[in-house]
Amino acid sequence: MEKIDLQQLTNEQIAFQLILHSGNARSKVIQSLREYRAGNKEVASKLIEEAEKDLSLAHDIHFQMIQKEAGGQNTELTLLLMHAEDHFMSTLSMKELVKEMLELFKERNL
Amino acid sequence: MKRILLACSSGMSTSLLVTKMQEYAKSIGEEAEIWAVGQDQAKKEMEKADVVLIGPQMSFLKSELQKEAEKYGIKVDVIDMVAYGMADGKKAYEQALKLMGEK
Repeated sequence: MEKIDLQQLTNEQIAFQLILHSGNARSKVIQSLREYRAGNKEVASKLIEEAEKDLSLAHDIHFQMIQKEAGGQNTELTLLLMHAEDHFMSTLSMKELVKEMLELFKERNL
Repeated sequence: MKRILLACSSGMSTSLLVTKMQEYAKSIGEEAEIWAVGQDQAKKEMEKADVVLIGPQMSFLKSELQKEAEKYGIKVDVIDMVAYGMADGKKAYEQALKLMGEK
């Protein structure tokens, strides 16, 4: 999927895009652990890679907003946007943690 | 009366989509009951629904929810990515109708 240009989106759509890509990543991270449990180690690693791609799309949206703010153009703060950022941040930490866990499992031959 | 259940992890983003879907249904003169819940309530609420749409953040639960939905003979699907990403009520509503038609 290509990068998203925020200029063409409403604030609400920006928040939804952020939730969408973080959400796709979140699902893949959890799916990855489940695949690992089922013995499909390669599928698990592939899902984490895909989750990272989704997260980079989300990160790009987040980053564009930060750059806009640094340029003096503030984004209107809504509860929906906070919720979207929350989704993004929690999925980022989830991904980091699951990635470490999978490495650990592999090392211990679990 | 069409009854459409939307579910996402907390029920927040889909609540907004619900409003947009309701507006669209009203604009084309259709009567629809559309509501959103968090993922924990989805299984309980689906007995009242004709179709269940879930957010991308819980797509990993689709097969689990579909299993439950079979008890009521209804379908579960992940909300179309474009419809969700653009908060497009019309597209999401049409997706729900299509799923109901297939049942």
